Amino acid sequence: MLMVENLSTSIGGTPILEGLDLSVGAGEVHAIMGPNGSGKSTFAHALAGRDGYEIGGTATLDGVDLLAMDPEARAAAGLFIGFQYPVEIPGVNNMYFLRTALNSVRRARGEEEIGARDFLAVAREAMELVEMKKDFLNRSVNAGFSGGEKKRNEILQMAIMRPRLALLDETDSGLDIDALQIIAAGVNSLRSPERSVVIITHYQRLLDYIKPDVVHVLVGGRIVDSGDHTLAHYLEDHGYANFVNHDPDSAPGRPLTGTAS
Amino acid sequence: MTAQVATSAHSNPLDLHGADRLDDVSRPTKHDDAWRYAPHDLLARLLFGSTTATAQQAPAVAVNRIPQLDGPRIVIVNGVIDVDQSQIAALPDGLRISTFAGSATEPTDPADDVDSGFAADAFLIAIERFGSGGVAIEVTDGHHLDVPIHLVDLVAPNQTRNTPSRSAVVRLGEKSSATIVETRIGTGPVFGGLNTRTSITLESNAALEHILLQNLPETQIHLGRVEVSQHAGSTLRAHSFNLGASYGRVAYEVHLLGAGGQADLSGLYFGTGAQTLDQQITVVHSARDCTSRQSYRGVLDDESTGVFNGGIDVRPGADGTDAQQSNDNLLLSDRAEANTQPRLEILADDVACKHGATVGQLDDSALYYLRTRGITANDARRLLIDAFASQAVDNIESDAVRAWIRARIGASHA
Amino acid sequence: MSIQLTSNWLGTQRTGSDHRSIAPLSSKRGHAMTRTSQEINDLAEASYEYGFSTDLDTDIAPPGLTEDTVRLISAKKDEPDWLLQWRLKAFEAWQGMTEPDWAKLEIAPIDYQALSYWAAPKQKPVLDSMDDVDPEIRDMFDKLGIPLHEQKMLSNVAVDAIVDSVSVTTTFKATLAEAGVIFCSFSEAVQDHPELVREHLGSVVPVRDNYFAALNSAVFSDGSFCYIPSGVRCPMELSTYFRINSQNTGQFERTLIIAEDDAHVSYLEGCTAPQRDENQLHAAVVELVAKDRAEIKYSTVQNWYPGDENGVGGIYNFVTKRGRAHTDAKISWTQVETGSAITWKYPSVILQGDRSIGEFYSVALSSKRQQADTGSKMIHIGADTTSSIISKGISTGRGQNTYRGLVKVMRSAENARNYTQCDSLLLSSDCGAHTIPYIEVKNPTAKVEHEASTSTVGEDQLYYCRQRGMTEEDAMSMIVNGFCREVFDELPMEFAVEAQRLLSVSLEGSVG
Repeated sequence: MLMVENLSTSIGGTPILEGLDLSVGAGEVHAIMGPNGSGKSTFAHALAGRDGYEIGGTATLDGVDLLAMDPEARAAAGLFIGFQYPVEIPGVNNMYFLRTALNSVRRARGEEEIGARDFLAVAREAMELVEMKKDFLNRSVNAGFSGGEKKRNEILQMAIMRPRLALLDETDSGLDIDALQIIAAGVNSLRSPERSVVIITHYQRLLDYIKPDVVHVLVGGRIVDSGDHTLAHYLEDHGYANFVNHDPDSAPGRPLTGTAS
Repeated sequence: MTAQVATSAHSNPLDLHGADRLDDVSRPTKHDDAWRYAPHDLLARLLFGSTTATAQQAPAVAVNRIPQLDGPRIVIVNGVIDVDQSQIAALPDGLRISTFAGSATEPTDPADDVDSGFAADAFLIAIERFGSGGVAIEVTDGHHLDVPIHLVDLVAPNQTRNTPSRSAVVRLGEKSSATIVETRIGTGPVFGGLNTRTSITLESNAALEHILLQNLPETQIHLGRVEVSQHAGSTLRAHSFNLGASYGRVAYEVHLLGAGGQADLSGLYFGTGAQTLDQQITVVHSARDCTSRQSYRGVLDDESTGVFNGGIDVRPGADGTDAQQSNDNLLLSDRAEANTQPRLEILADDVACKHGATVGQLDDSALYYLRTRGITANDARRLLIDAFASQAVDNIESDAVRAWIRARIGASHA
Repeated sequence: MSIQLTSNWLGTQRTGSDHRSIAPLSSKRGHAMTRTSQEINDLAEASYEYGFSTDLDTDIAPPGLTEDTVRLISAKKDEPDWLLQWRLKAFEAWQGMTEPDWAKLEIAPIDYQALSYWAAPKQKPVLDSMDDVDPEIRDMFDKLGIPLHEQKMLSNVAVDAIVDSVSVTTTFKATLAEAGVIFCSFSEAVQDHPELVREHLGSVVPVRDNYFAALNSAVFSDGSFCYIPSGVRCPMELSTYFRINSQNTGQFERTLIIAEDDAHVSYLEGCTAPQRDENQLHAAVVELVAKDRAEIKYSTVQNWYPGDENGVGGIYNFVTKRGRAHTDAKISWTQVETGSAITWKYPSVILQGDRSIGEFYSVALSSKRQQADTGSKMIHIGADTTSSIISKGISTGRGQNTYRGLVKVMRSAENARNYTQCDSLLLSSDCGAHTIPYIEVKNPTAKVEHEASTSTVGEDQLYYCRQRGMTEEDAMSMIVNGFCREVFDELPMEFAVEAQRLLSVSLEGSVG
């Protein structure tokens, strides 16, 4: 479904990603772990089309070249990013925002737009998933939300947008254990053979609740190792030290637990 | 506004009446925003001109009326340097002080003043026309002065010439730093005033702390103007304490001409009696990525009037500007007045500007709380006023200056 | 009966989409945004769609302004002598006054002698029935989306339609009369209720208040008059629709609204003008009188022709609006100003009575070469008076937006409160935003707060919306509408919808 080959990005000449390869199949859940500054968020925003990156390599979603498109066209192609720092938009009603987003995507795909009444039903259902109160929809987008509310709002949006590929950028950061479980439950319920999920995270904690099929280690702008979920536990116990300055062509600094990509 | 001074070419310098007054056309009116709350009748009575005659009386500066600072002191009596009272014999390395006489405004290098964008007003023109000279202070490149330079003005007006007009020109070379304290005091029951212009140039990466202590008697008028041109990476910290005079006017115009400059201006005005204390502050952002702060507080008692007219002016292309401004006023009496005009003029789009202004009185619940703890009503008031005013005072590094200010504002509220 | 004034009456012409089908409406809050998503998305054309002019048979006075002109106007309207004398006094005052100093405005000099001060469609101003309205005028208003024919209207809004200088028709008069409400053209009020007019005319805005108020007082031609008797809550929204049609004419209308004790009224005002290459002058005066415990809500959506990208043409909109609030009364001004080459207006409230309340909510957008200089004055005289000012300025293109306001707390105003918030949004590198508040406080018990900010639409906000699938233009429009939300929430429903549409149209081309 998602094919990323030799992806490189730099900002103002400073390289961030240097030849990243990643392949995610339909229905799979992958986790990308890595230390601060390894390029995890950059990867998400390079795929989503944020301005300001110089980009090389290729990235396709269902065979469609993502890198050639505007951000909104990538969204219409089925890419969803859960933001690490969801943006506040004062004065814009959350429900209105979501319906406009959904209808923009539907329009771009040549689908019929959804009316207010039907949308409300969709939204209600999605809200139960992330245990949101009703007044949530009438508040401004992320404005005045707590950290946990912002993250839940991201999952709510994911539930409404029903993307092909959801890339969740540190959705677990700053959450207490209850919120973490709510979010994990939300994501799990959205797992389907039609949908893939990439979870970007520092810690294995979220992965206790959302079990990934593959775990990747991102260090220095490249994926230096990949394995099954036990790799996450290894990282939790040993940190990233063995991977820093790691030469991926030489022997890995830990016992092999899974397949290398 | 356009201002012009009466141009009659008076040959006799003693023939002052009329000639040294600003004529009706030249004088600002209450329709000029910058002079909206000024006492226009009093301004009309100011008589400019050479003050050589009065300077001969040379009253002494009473030591206890100014902060006692280590370092060079320049005493200016009625607009003329008084060498005897000054202490400029042994100057620190990197500091040059010279004086100039007459109506010249620039001692040496007028080409230095590349930025001629400073707004002219009638009293600036009065300085240029009737100026009694002044002092030039230069700190050479790379020097850090660890003692403050103290400029003391003493005004002792007489009946015929009541308003000396003097200039100071300050230049801090690249990567140099200094502190300048300007103290203004006066004597006598006679009506008069002081008209000053301080022109400051900060070369790149220079840092200046400028402190203005205005404490003229309430028979006098203070017209003080500070112009600052800041080049790339320079830092200004300017603190004004506008305390004396019947009409005390403190005007700052700061031009951020080079990228990355920082201007931090703060001030306190503390009015009693029938004083009008007027702050006219403009910060012009002409270059990218500069930061400015304006933070002014007013405490107004009796029948005093406070004025704050502060502008943030962001010119086209000054992207990355970060500018903030605040003005808070405390009214202590039902005859006091606060007028505030916080202006924003923004002509660039990548900017973050904020301003805020408040007018209020002492918090009743705080007063009550203090009194339940056994503090007398009067002390509680004092405490809260001090707390309000201390924000401005605490910014000052010099213990001597802080002590002087505390004594002065405490005195007005004993 | 629901409020159903057709919603395209101020903005672009909408074809084939019925906004009422989008969502059922129970309350205005929370829904204003949702119901317009389609409409905002539908917007395609950035041009001024009300730029057409109508060939009406018009009675125009020769250009020029002398005492004779004033007499001519008064005679044309068959006015009583006291009113003629009042006008002459104003004219004399005007002659002695000088034009305001245009601090922030770039303005070509106005030749007051080149204007015509009287232009009226050639029909009798007083009509017996709507069917008597000139069909061409009816057509013109139909084209603007304002049906004047009561039978065709389901609306709960009474409309007074003013073309050039004269009120052409007022709808729903009979229904209003049952409630005791008088809503008619100013000329009719002069004839039918002279005592009310005489008592209140100039009582809030004195003839020599300012240059344009004096000019208006001398030559005003018509306008709207409302009188809400004691204890009456006006059964419908009252609305005046202004249209400048003739060339080289000034429009000088006068509006007077009187709410007696405990009366309530909501009044709407909308404006358009044809697209013409020369500037046209509009100098109106609006006076509101809210007696004890009365409440007047006055909403304006102003969409006069703004001129083109090069600053050619457009209306000069110089308006004096002021209300006097007596004890426990409330006056609320809400305005959305998207049109006019130059806007110069400061809707004000004199808070005379104890506990009276003044409010001002404003969105002003300056695009192309537009210049908006607007704000409010709140004069606190009574004790425990409260005022709030919420101003949202948006500048784009080469537009210049100035907030200018005065909050004055007199010595008598014990415990007065004011809160002012001015936010500016800058959307291009050639535009400007200026905030010039005056705050004058003479009573220590006052609490006055002023906050202002200037910002631009965040790249991160645009990106976030685009990641969710919206186009950049849609995202921009949504974010800007969000910026204005507090003000739109104050507008009656149909005006809020219209205001958003206008904003979106005006913003087109602002992206990138």
